Amino acid sequence: MISSPALDKPGSRAMIELEEVHKRFNAGTINEIYALRGVNLVIGEGQFVTVIGTNGSGKSTFLNMAAGTILPDTGTVRIAGEDMTRKKDYERARSMARVFQNPFMGTAPDMTIAENLLLAYLRGERRYPRFGLNAKRLEFFKERVKELEMQLEDRLDALIGTLSGGQRQALSLLMAVIKEPKVLLLDEHTAALDPKSAAQVIKLTKTFVERGKLTTLMVTHSMQQALELGDRTIMMHQGQIIDDIPKAEKERLTVDDLLDKFADLRKTEKLTDEIIEQLRREYV
Amino acid sequence: MELWVGAFNLGLLYAFMAMGVFITFRVHDFPDITVDSSFVTGAAVTAVLIVAGINPLVALGLSFLAGACAGAITAFIHTRFNINGLLSGIIVMTGLYSVNLHIMGKSNIPLLDRPGIVSFAGKLNPGMAPEVWLGIVFLLVVALFWLLVSLFFMTDFGITMRATGNNPTMAGSTGVNVNAVKMMGIALANGFVAVSGSLVAQYQGFTDIGMGIGSIVFGLAAVIIGESIVRTRSVYGKVAGVIAGSIMFRLMVALALYAGLNPIDLKLITAVFVLVILVAPKLITGEGIGRVPLKKRIRRLIPARKFSIGLIALFCVAVIGSSMYVLVSRGLTPGKKKVTIGVVQLSDTGLLNITRDSFLDEMKRLGYEEGKTAIFYVENAHGDMATVNSIIDKFLVKKADIVVPISTGCAQAAINKIKDRPVVFATVANPFIIGAGKSDTDHMANVTGVYGAAPVDTLMELVTGIFPGPIKIGCMWDPSQQNAVYNADRLRSVISKNRNVAFVGATVTGSSEVYQAAVSLVGKGIDAIVLPPDNIVFSAFESIVKAAAARRIPIFISDVERLQDGALGACGYDYASSGMQAAKIVDRIIKGEKPAAIPFEQYKKLTIGINSKVAKDLGIEIPREVLARTTVTVGDDRIGLPGSAAKKTDSRPRRLALFVFSDSYVLKLVADGVMDELKKSGTLVRYNIRVDLKNAQNDYATAQAIIQDIVRQKYDYLITASTLALQVAANGNKQIPHIFGAVTDPYRMGVARSPADHIPNLTGVATFQPVESTIKAMRAIFPGARRIGIVWNPAEANSEACTEKARAAATQNGFQLVERTVNSTDEVRDAVAALLAKDIDLFFTSGDNTVILAFATIAALLKERKVPYFTNDPTDIQRGAFFSIGADYIEVGVETARMAEKVIAGESPKDIPIKDYAPEKIGVNQDLARLYGVKIPEHLLKKAAVKK
Repeated sequence: MISSPALDKPGSRAMIELEEVHKRFNAGTINEIYALRGVNLVIGEGQFVTVIGTNGSGKSTFLNMAAGTILPDTGTVRIAGEDMTRKKDYERARSMARVFQNPFMGTAPDMTIAENLLLAYLRGERRYPRFGLNAKRLEFFKERVKELEMQLEDRLDALIGTLSGGQRQALSLLMAVIKEPKVLLLDEHTAALDPKSAAQVIKLTKTFVERGKLTTLMVTHSMQQALELGDRTIMMHQGQIIDDIPKAEKERLTVDDLLDKFADLRKTEKLTDEIIEQLRREYV
Repeated sequence: MELWVGAFNLGLLYAFMAMGVFITFRVHDFPDITVDSSFVTGAAVTAVLIVAGINPLVALGLSFLAGACAGAITAFIHTRFNINGLLSGIIVMTGLYSVNLHIMGKSNIPLLDRPGIVSFAGKLNPGMAPEVWLGIVFLLVVALFWLLVSLFFMTDFGITMRATGNNPTMAGSTGVNVNAVKMMGIALANGFVAVSGSLVAQYQGFTDIGMGIGSIVFGLAAVIIGESIVRTRSVYGKVAGVIAGSIMFRLMVALALYAGLNPIDLKLITAVFVLVILVAPKLITGEGIGRVPLKKRIRRLIPARKFSIGLIALFCVAVIGSSMYVLVSRGLTPGKKKVTIGVVQLSDTGLLNITRDSFLDEMKRLGYEEGKTAIFYVENAHGDMATVNSIIDKFLVKKADIVVPISTGCAQAAINKIKDRPVVFATVANPFIIGAGKSDTDHMANVTGVYGAAPVDTLMELVTGIFPGPIKIGCMWDPSQQNAVYNADRLRSVISKNRNVAFVGATVTGSSEVYQAAVSLVGKGIDAIVLPPDNIVFSAFESIVKAAAARRIPIFISDVERLQDGALGACGYDYASSGMQAAKIVDRIIKGEKPAAIPFEQYKKLTIGINSKVAKDLGIEIPREVLARTTVTVGDDRIGLPGSAAKKTDSRPRRLALFVFSDSYVLKLVADGVMDELKKSGTLVRYNIRVDLKNAQNDYATAQAIIQDIVRQKYDYLITASTLALQVAANGNKQIPHIFGAVTDPYRMGVARSPADHIPNLTGVATFQPVESTIKAMRAIFPGARRIGIVWNPAEANSEACTEKARAAATQNGFQLVERTVNSTDEVRDAVAALLAKDIDLFFTSGDNTVILAFATIAALLKERKVPYFTNDPTDIQRGAFFSIGADYIEVGVETARMAEKVIAGESPKDIPIKDYAPEKIGVNQDLARLYGVKIPEHLLKKAAVKK
């Protein structure tokens, strides 16, 4: 197992810490899946980390563990130094926001753009029965939606359900960052989009993360994205972190180098030819 | 009219519940069946608090809280223990049933004449039809509700709640505690449902443990109908849609009833309708509509949506179509040009009723038949001048060809308002003082009619004939009515010619002041009250009789019909001739004559009457020469008045509604008894009465609608069988004479305080199960027995009453009553087994419908242990009971019918005391007696009508 490297930026504090985290699904049945096998990871404040891995490698479980939608069997999860191991997702949402892979997951379809944004805008606040969409808030939302460059700023009262996947995902992203969370979790958030929308969403992601200096954990299917974005890339396989590539090394690597890294695993009997082929198909 | 307005009002009250279902079902995607019980919780809390004298508004607020608690419990079970929402709802609904019973303490709480929000609103009525007024009040309240709920959905919290239902994952990821919000939503929803229950209870006048059954289905139907008629994404629109859906649903039910669809099928149609709408989208897409991505969902729903709209359209078309079919087959659809005639009378006084009836009869004789050749709108303002005006407006809206105002007040309103079509008045004292004309031939061009000043001179001759010495007479009138002033003036001028007679006058400004005025007159030492025509005073005649009776002062009145109500002497015109003459004039106008060319007619036929019973009571000897002049005598015998004689040969059939609450065996016997007696006595033929059987199929809302329909159709008489039928009818009908039967305890239902002190328009027969005789018989047969076992369902009001009696009777006869309660039939077996383990000597079942359904099981268990089974229904003997003393329900029906016959013959229900009547019928099972080795005492055996 490869241990986590030291924090990239000296002096900055740890934002996400996972310590000896284990997770089994359907424990004790023939369908038992050992999803995380002792994961240790420290992500510093302001770091942008990309995560890649084979199918079933545990990268999604890993992200959900950080988000709080899945709680670990054993181990500790700390966010900004605070022990959050047993905290539910809504209790973590004060400091943490997330964009789902499925554009339909991150928005309420039968409600308007403005109402969805309001919901995100109230992140970490008390939700009083006072009139929600006042002129001031609407003006603010309009400004922010303009940044998406999707011509949605004049359609704030359109139902989300009537928008395209790309538009919805861009809004999901905006909803995640509108209150500048400490941690941003991106779960293959461009995987379901067409190339043009995906490019726009990636561009927005970069802008928002840089502007807010957000600590970001991004799971991705695209090795290209993994290499281009972020300060650090983590490779996962069979519930473990098998490689942790710092920024300096990333700049030198190509997609083929990454594939070779997976090929090396084959030599240690960890990967079958089939999986290599699958990776080649999916990633290249 | 009452039917539609009534349905509209119910729809408004049920809109609160529909809103609750909308919140659970549409906002939280959670069809919460708790509403079936929380509806009753609201009604129960309200009933108990109102009876305890708490302010109804406070009661309403507490009902909301109680409902909200119920909802919170369901949501807690659902979210905390992750139990399926429907299942959580069923669990709470079931448990809540017992809680509701505990709250109420009994299964039914009458709220008749208790202060409530609805009755308070009713009191503020400025003079509209009560249902219409309530409709306006409810509409305002619901409009406010609509605004508040819509605004709530647009607050931070409201938006969060909607998002929680719409996409819980996303809500959770933005920091919303989804479970907590869901809990608040479900609590709010059930609070609304409880408010609905509270209001419905106050509107219908009672709370019953069973009133919530099927609420969820109704709520779903309302939500779905609402979505299909108001199609919008605005929050205001959606909330309005729910309210509209609730109203639509009630109107559909009313339409189905109006068209005569069998109420049995209503529930089935509703259930199938809701089912299809819910299932159709799933059938088409092949999966649930829950967690599918919305884009696909929308795409998939498009055909489904069209499909459901199609179904709704089909449903509406089917209901409307069948209604139209029935209407067409009744011949009510507009065909060739019919003449439309509007008839309006000022109040419900006898002379106006006679005029109206004789007018309608004569019209029919002349060939104008309702629905075929003519349309009649017959309206009664019930003493309110404002109503007269709105009735005349209605005639104008309905494009009446001829308007027939009966009474001076109506004639005055009509001639003021109507200038463009003929007005034919009847029973007007003096058409000249109201400006209808200058002489019989010189009058307003569009006005003619029949008039005649009341014969006050003849009336005074009657008075002075009986009291030849100097006397002081009292008179009262309403100065706002021209004809009353005119008549009072004429009386005064007649009196001024006679030096022996002194005059004391009093004025009133409404029928409610009449009693006070009469008391003050009586206090002034008058010797007699003389009443010239005044419809307002006449409509409160009973209160004058009451005031006069205190000092035994005789009353003379110019309306012969009033003799029966307690006047000593009367002298008036035969108002039947007034109606007939008016009909003949109407006929001439229809045939082309101009009203201007038809002179006013006077009626001449005079009737003079004496009530000899009143004379005897007051100790007044009627001089022979006065008697010689009378044409009518009332009191000794049934020899009728000309009016009632005319009624007997009435050609217009009178209608009697026989209303039973359900199809149960006992109620069938009662209905049979009623019909047998009415036929056998010849009443139906003699009075030309048509009987319509109405059956509510054990459903409260249907019962409500049936009563509204009976009131709308203005039935002449109403007979009800069963306690619930009585209760619904007593609340919904305040006018039609109502005779009830098959009721255990009318006093408990709030319709009466004692046999003589009851709601004026109803009376009837109270039949208590012969519990005491049965327990006495137990003692006679088993001198050594000690313990009687009894199983009963506390939800049944009758059973509760019977058990209370049994407790007392058991103690009196030296028994110990060992009780077990059950909530449903399947618990009976265990309860009986438990009692057998307690060494009971005898077993007893009284009027308990739950227990009696398990009869065969009980009889077998008891036979095995040789425990004799006593019941209160002799037909049980054949099925294995040991000994029964029961009421003979056919006899109960007969007795009810006999009481109805009195009312049909002209007695007022007010004057007929409620009769306690329990004809005992004994049944003995000699086979079992032999088997158990028991000797039945001879005196009981001799009386037994059923033996085995």
